Amino acid sequence: MAAAAGGGGGGGAGASGGRAYSFKVVLLGEGCVGKTSLVLRYCENKFNDKHITTLQASFLTKKLNIGGKRVNLAIWDTAGQERFHALGPIYYRDSNGAILVYDITDEDSFQKVKNWVKELRKMLGNEICLCIVGNKIDLEKERHVSVQEAETYAESVGAKHYHTSAKQNKGIEELFLDLCKRMIETAQVDERAKGNGSSQQGMARRGVQIIDDEPQGQSSGGCCSSG
Amino acid sequence: MSLKSERRGIHVDQSELLCKKGCGYYGNSAWQGFCSKCWREEYQKARQRQIQEDWELAERLQREEEEAFASSQSSQGAQSLTFSKFEGKKTNEKSRKVTTVKKFFSASSRGGPKKVAQEKTLKQGQLGRERNTDNLLRDLKEIFAPAWELASPSEEIQEAKAASPSINRQASLETDRVSKEFIEFLKTFHKTGQEIYKQTKMFLEAMHQKREFSIEEQSECTQDFYQHVAERLQTRGKVPPEKMEKAMDQIEKYIMTRLYKHVFCPETTDDEKKDLAVQKRIRALHWVTPQMLCVPVNEEIPEVSDMVVKAITDIIEMDSKRVPRDKLACITKCSKHIFNAIKITKNEPASADDFLPTLIYIVLKGNPPRLQSNIQYITRFCNPSRLMTGEDGYYFTNLCCAVAFIEKLDAQSLNLSQEDFDRYMSGQSSPKKPESEPWAPDACLGVQQMYKNLDLLSQLNERQERLMSQAKKLEKDLIDWTDGIAKEVQDIVEKYPLEIKPPSQPLAAIDSENVENDKLPPPLQPQVYAG
Repeated sequence: MAAAAGGGGGGGAGASGGRAYSFKVVLLGEGCVGKTSLVLRYCENKFNDKHITTLQASFLTKKLNIGGKRVNLAIWDTAGQERFHALGPIYYRDSNGAILVYDITDEDSFQKVKNWVKELRKMLGNEICLCIVGNKIDLEKERHVSVQEAETYAESVGAKHYHTSAKQNKGIEELFLDLCKRMIETAQVDERAKGNGSSQQGMARRGVQIIDDEPQGQSSGGCCSSG
Repeated sequence: MSLKSERRGIHVDQSELLCKKGCGYYGNSAWQGFCSKCWREEYQKARQRQIQEDWELAERLQREEEEAFASSQSSQGAQSLTFSKFEGKKTNEKSRKVTTVKKFFSASSRGGPKKVAQEKTLKQGQLGRERNTDNLLRDLKEIFAPAWELASPSEEIQEAKAASPSINRQASLETDRVSKEFIEFLKTFHKTGQEIYKQTKMFLEAMHQKREFSIEEQSECTQDFYQHVAERLQTRGKVPPEKMEKAMDQIEKYIMTRLYKHVFCPETTDDEKKDLAVQKRIRALHWVTPQMLCVPVNEEIPEVSDMVVKAITDIIEMDSKRVPRDKLACITKCSKHIFNAIKITKNEPASADDFLPTLIYIVLKGNPPRLQSNIQYITRFCNPSRLMTGEDGYYFTNLCCAVAFIEKLDAQSLNLSQEDFDRYMSGQSSPKKPESEPWAPDACLGVQQMYKNLDLLSQLNERQERLMSQAKKLEKDLIDWTDGIAKEVQDIVEKYPLEIKPPSQPLAAIDSENVENDKLPPPLQPQVYAG
């Protein structure tokens, strides 16, 4: 595992030698969109369960085997409160994928996703695989973000769109599997492009940078911050 | 030379360094405090022959090599060139023919006795191992001996160059211990271990020469080194992945323990200034309450406040560690305690939405020393594989976030009005109501309980006093009342003296004195006249 991670942000360069890919995926989204439920459902297959054994749902790992390729997935939850928005870049640097979650019943949360996408593309370019996820489709009746709008938007920014329900365990497995496949592709392209001279990667991007281009005045106030 | 070394040996007691036998040479704890010579005499006579044989073999191989250099030295003395002799005659140039490579590297600098002692440790280890291996490995010796020996010249160069006494050689006991551990660890890797040792030594030497460079360059060198060694271990050493991590950790531990002094909070950077700024900032924010940060932790639960205290201890402890990985481990420990606190309070797994505010709160409460320096040091010198994808990396990232948040924190991020924020910051007022609680909110639970109890006691005392005074008053009232009544009665009695007689008696009494009563005619009866 450490071997592949040595490749740094590139996501396991040299993984072709039968070693595992290591991917870092950040989970972005407003406070109450269900990021935690999503990832707990994926890693523990539990929802609002009293028997959840894990102490925390902020950093979870999952080992996968996709078409014979071993993948170590590290899922980084981020604090979704508006006040922590400016800290985003510290979280998502060196990540291979980002899952941007919104609540289909909350128009505001979709707007936030758009902001994230803009920022991510600006900071990380096209190296990062983006997934836009409309969560809580069990509440279809209260939908406030139209499917059409969301999917068009996702396509326009080169992201994939998914519909999930952590409660009913819908679409989550597919989401992560798809993301992993895309990240492997990116890593392979990366590998080929860099050839053998990949040893320097991961160095250039080590610095911490905080860019706060969004004035924090637009606090929605629509969502509680921490339960 | 030896006098000079004595003066410079500031970290270790001089007497500990010298041979226990008192021969004047330096001892080594690996030889139970004896110097090489005495140790050999004491314990290793039996092994002498074996080592000599090895030596001869090495010598033979060496000679072949040496011929190419048209050596004029008499290599015939090889048989008598035992280790102890070699050590003893460290100033004797011609006794060093075995270490040809070394000679080329270190011609200008003859090391001090201590250094030679270390050399010997290595050599001894090397020889000890070889003795037990087959001929094939002996043949390999030729290839690897220089690798081990290269180590020493680099040290010597360091020593020769160093003007300050803080050079690695004199470093604290910890460094020695770590070095020993490292060498022990490398022995489990056999051939690859030697390779690693050579690499690290060369790296340390290079780093020493780069001491004047900017910290970024030094950091880059270190990162390159990690990458380089990792690749070498994989491709050449064929080290299995599960062993890789451990090996890399050991290497990191070794090099960073040695480099720590020079690369932690170096003078060339403004790390220290930043440390002080953060510290001051946190102190200025002492009034921030958990409620303002929406911290999902209820400190009134004893277990939770216990966890909070532990988390604070861990984050403060970080500064005392030298190796980046150990520092990370402190952050991870701190995070686990935070998760526990959240879990107890909320009874569900903590998400990042819960974790980050709590971590910020912990940092504000703990005000860990040299926070920026530590973060910078970890960022610059930690093995990147650990920092970027692992769990430790996640917590470290959160700590970076917490610090960034604290630095930029404003009224809005605490949901306060600008006025309130300014007032609190300037210390004009505090968000706590002045009459609320006499104890500091961050006092530990026991003290809080004590204060509460004291409060209760004083209240009880007051009530008791009031009760007593009321009782006394009542008593007095009662006495007054009885007195009053008695007096009143007295008055009335005086006012109306009373002789109680039966109503008919007074007449009889009057009459009784009249003796001739019978003689009186009967009283006149009223007559009724009609008319």
